[in-house]
Amino acid sequence: MFDTTGFWKDIFIFILVLVVVYILLKTFTLKYFKNKDRAKTIGLNIFLVLGILYLFYRIYRVIYDNFPDFATMFMMTNIVNQALQVSVLALATTGIVLIFKTSATTNFAQGMIATFGAFFSAKMIQYFALNYTDMTVTTMVFLAMIGGAITAFLFGVFVDAVIIRNSKDKSPIGKQMITMGLVLVLAGAMPLIFGKILLPIPKMSYEPNIAFKLFGIDLFITVHAYYALIITVVLLVILFSMLRFTKWGLGVRATASNELVAGMMGVNTKVITSMSWAIAGLLGAVAAVMLTPNATNVTVALMTPTQVNAFMAAILGSFSSFLGPLVATILIPVLTGLLSLIVPLWQNAVVYLIILAVVLVKPMGLFGKKIAKKV
Amino acid sequence: MMICRTEVCKDRKARFKQITNHPYFGFFIITFLMLIVQLLRVTGVPVSNTLIRAFGITMIYIIIALGFSILLGYAGLASLGTAGFVGIGTYILGYFTKNLEASIFIVILVSILGAIVIGLIVGFISLRIEGMYLAIITLGLSEILNEVFKNAVSITNGTNGLGLDSQLIIFKNLIFINHNTIFIFTAIIMFVMMILTLNLIKSPTGRALLAMRNSTSAAQAMGVSILKYRLMAFIVSTVYAMLGGVIYMSYISFSIPTTWSLAFSLNILAAVIVGGSQSIYGIVLGTFMIFGLNLGVFQQFDFFKENPAISVMFNGLLIILVIMFYPGGLIRLVTTTYYKLKNALAKLKMKWRNYRYGSDN
Amino acid sequence: MVPIINQIYAKFLEKRINSAKTKIEFYDNFLPIKLQTLEDRYNRKVEIIKLKYKQKLLSLEIPAGVDSEYLKEIYETEQANLKDKFYWKERIVKASSQRKGENGKEQIQELEKEKSIKANAIKNKYYPKSTSEAIKNYETNQPILNETLEAKITKIQTSYQIKVDKFSNKSNKAVKRYQEININLSAKLHEITKDKIAKYSLEENVVLSLKSLSMHFGGLKAVDDLSFDVKEGEIFGLIGPNGAGKTTVFNCITRFYKPTLGDIYFKNIYDDVVYLNDKLVHNIIKEGIVRTFQNVEMVWELNVIDNLLVAAHTIYRSGFFGHLFNSRLLRQEEKVMRRKAMKILEDLGISAYQYAYPYGLPYGILKKIELARTLMANPKLIILDEPAAGLNDVETADLAKVIKKIRDEYNATIFLVEHDMGLVMDICDTVCAISFGKKLAMGSPKEIQNSKVVQEAYLGGE
Repeated sequence: MFDTTGFWKDIFIFILVLVVVYILLKTFTLKYFKNKDRAKTIGLNIFLVLGILYLFYRIYRVIYDNFPDFATMFMMTNIVNQALQVSVLALATTGIVLIFKTSATTNFAQGMIATFGAFFSAKMIQYFALNYTDMTVTTMVFLAMIGGAITAFLFGVFVDAVIIRNSKDKSPIGKQMITMGLVLVLAGAMPLIFGKILLPIPKMSYEPNIAFKLFGIDLFITVHAYYALIITVVLLVILFSMLRFTKWGLGVRATASNELVAGMMGVNTKVITSMSWAIAGLLGAVAAVMLTPNATNVTVALMTPTQVNAFMAAILGSFSSFLGPLVATILIPVLTGLLSLIVPLWQNAVVYLIILAVVLVKPMGLFGKKIAKKV
Repeated sequence: MMICRTEVCKDRKARFKQITNHPYFGFFIITFLMLIVQLLRVTGVPVSNTLIRAFGITMIYIIIALGFSILLGYAGLASLGTAGFVGIGTYILGYFTKNLEASIFIVILVSILGAIVIGLIVGFISLRIEGMYLAIITLGLSEILNEVFKNAVSITNGTNGLGLDSQLIIFKNLIFINHNTIFIFTAIIMFVMMILTLNLIKSPTGRALLAMRNSTSAAQAMGVSILKYRLMAFIVSTVYAMLGGVIYMSYISFSIPTTWSLAFSLNILAAVIVGGSQSIYGIVLGTFMIFGLNLGVFQQFDFFKENPAISVMFNGLLIILVIMFYPGGLIRLVTTTYYKLKNALAKLKMKWRNYRYGSDN
Repeated sequence: MVPIINQIYAKFLEKRINSAKTKIEFYDNFLPIKLQTLEDRYNRKVEIIKLKYKQKLLSLEIPAGVDSEYLKEIYETEQANLKDKFYWKERIVKASSQRKGENGKEQIQELEKEKSIKANAIKNKYYPKSTSEAIKNYETNQPILNETLEAKITKIQTSYQIKVDKFSNKSNKAVKRYQEININLSAKLHEITKDKIAKYSLEENVVLSLKSLSMHFGGLKAVDDLSFDVKEGEIFGLIGPNGAGKTTVFNCITRFYKPTLGDIYFKNIYDDVVYLNDKLVHNIIKEGIVRTFQNVEMVWELNVIDNLLVAAHTIYRSGFFGHLFNSRLLRQEEKVMRRKAMKILEDLGISAYQYAYPYGLPYGILKKIELARTLMANPKLIILDEPAAGLNDVETADLAKVIKKIRDEYNATIFLVEHDMGLVMDICDTVCAISFGKKLAMGSPKEIQNSKVVQEAYLGGE
């Protein structure tokens, strides 16, 4: 469809230039700046922002070369189409970061716990569809979503109480492997619990698309994605205001900086961690229910790509902040969507490669800070 | 006769003990036990195909797990890229035998070279990104490789999977089209890899890796170059994985991208952790628990055939339980129970002696 | 262009010279071990041959009625075995009769009878009536046997001697060759570098020199314009209140931190002055600087002797493939290193723990193991980070002795940071006091004790 000659070369050059500039910055800032660390970070940040802008510009050019009249519209439509993906990814990533902050482990089972909730939702929908035939799709899905979220919430509490709390003295890598084990356990258990019948979840609404104008361009968004966006924003606003203004949020921040000291200062770290596992499960389940209509049925591997993307977003935006990963969750689906136009089938690989290059240059992520090691 | 009770006979006994106490003796026994199934088949005892296949696959997974244990147990680096690397190995063999009719030795050489390149790349990544983040980054790398397997249709035949006639080209005219030969070939390679792994982990290199795992700063103060040893660990583990892939392809003769997913990496991880990541016998035990038991025993029953998920759940449960309660792996449990049994037996013997001969007083 | 090439060439030559030196050291250490193993093997072979000879002789002696010591020995062991056997049989009888509540005297008497019969049988077996034929046979064959024995022993001895000669020749030749190489290369090196004055120089007797060292963390000046010299063969103490920047100085010297400003020079094991700012962390040990850590950093999965071998890591010549295939060179090196480690452990009085695992050992022992580990790398300067932290008085006194011993016997300079004033005043030759990264005073322990500036820094000035 597209003439993409030169695009591959560009990606390659982009990564190469990134590394070269990093090396140059590292060597020259050492000599000419007094506060070299700060100079290096500022220089890198400017360069990375420029690089990402350049990437978008290149994509735009390729589209423009092929369809000079609709290039902007093409791009905008594609970006808006990613609304559902962005909201799903934002919820999943926030859950992972929350658990990382309180339990100091990267939760590989996040996607599986979410799928567990989605399975329950699908079961509920099956029940509603059989017994309450006059119920509208929207209320049905909303009720099921709440049900699934509560299930995942309870399941999060259960996982924390049974496994995570009892393996506090293990190394971070050990804890990480426990969550990997949990992935296998859930992947095996779910087909046994929920049977082998296909369990669909419908979209939240099948009403006609909503049309709106942005920068003078006509755009459409499906009602399902629109609802998903609203739900995500509401949930995240609630979560962040909780983190900011409630005692629990203060506890989370205290636990994140030092669990032992927080415990000594009277923070009930048990409740904090178990609540964050629960809330992460809840967010994940909502995301899974919103995502399922894309695949029509709930399957065990439903959340796996999202999980990988969420990890990538968390790494790209840095695990140490909440806002960084959110920026990354917008960036990744948008980039993937645009690249799928230009290099179909290879879009994920290219995005991962770009993330890998960025992370190689900035190991703590785009918004992370380097922590000095004590010897 | 009575004179033999003295020095010469003792010497002979000591020599025999030297053989049994030799560090490679255990590996020989394991390889021999693996081969017994095949030998029984050759001598005419009816052994089911699934059982032989289970043994073959387990041996391949042992090779891969050995490489992974150097990475995880000795260098302390958690990687989830194993599946991708094994996949590359299978496609190298597939491409080279199908299109170029190259000998297996050339394929192995090429895969080792490829492994060195990939190991270098991942090793450099591991220098910048440490600990938990490394697992995520290698997961991303594995995903990239999986996309490549799916989309580079001209080499990998895409999502349909790459099939191959079951054959092993030694030289141009010497071709084995026989599962039995490949089985023996696999067993020999496993034996060699076990020996090499033992040599490596008992050598200064193994000690340096352990020092690095305990504390990077202390290791550096003792002259261990983190750069060199991280790269080395990744290269070695990738070579093992790719070699495993090559043998897998020559034994199974079929490779499909869905095999090389996260689940495969997690299963290898499970095998290494469950058995004990720092002991070769532990890895053999772990691989049998995770793969052998499922393939060889469970698959014989209809219940497990219908619910393949159960074995996955079993693997996950084993990982969690072992990390929580037996951090040294099941092999430590085995050794401790062995010593406990020994002690109990000695006590029982003492009691029996007292009963038979009367107490000393 | 030429000077650059010359510089590279000089560096290359230096490397070759250093490697030749390590090779000579290796041969010097390995020769006695190899000779010992050869001798052991020889002795064992001779023993077995003698034994076989005795057995053959015995088969001649018994019918001939010749009484030899070996025959006596065997006869006595046989009788003792018999006695032992019947002792246990008696006990079985006694125990069973006790259980039944019987006396069991008859059975014991029976056993006694049986025993005496068997004893007689053994006696007849070893001391039968001699026949003239057998005597003749003995007389003719005994000298032949003797001769063959002697021939065999001389054969083994010659082969042993050949092996010893071969190996020592080989080793001597290698040593000579490397010495020659050394001389040649040194001459070449001298030729190249004779025009230039050495790049860096230090005063005589000075090992380590810090020149206006500064280390800033953001706005915090952890070390500020600090300079001092450490003399060869002394125990140098760095003291200061908490947060004075002592550990930062250490980390700058061992390259864990890159200093913001300032230079560090060090006279390495080959008596060349090197600029430490250029070196990487893991190469410091090759220059001869080894450090310990505040909290002991052991490899918990390895036993004590393997822990020591980790520090000898840089001395090994065998490479990755040597390790992979367990090459002969590696095996030889392992033997040398193990012997060296054993000797160090004996010197420090902890050889009892050589095969123990460090997990669970007392803290004092762990500290000593860490000291022993530093010695494995042939250090010139040992840096100790709070060696007495966490030790009780007895252990501290013990440690002081060990540190002095190391200084005297291993010709190492010792540089330590310590809070325990008793230890510092007891063992240090020179003490430097710092506060907030700045030098307060430097001198002998007594001078520091009487210094007003130091007292103010510790107790708070008025």
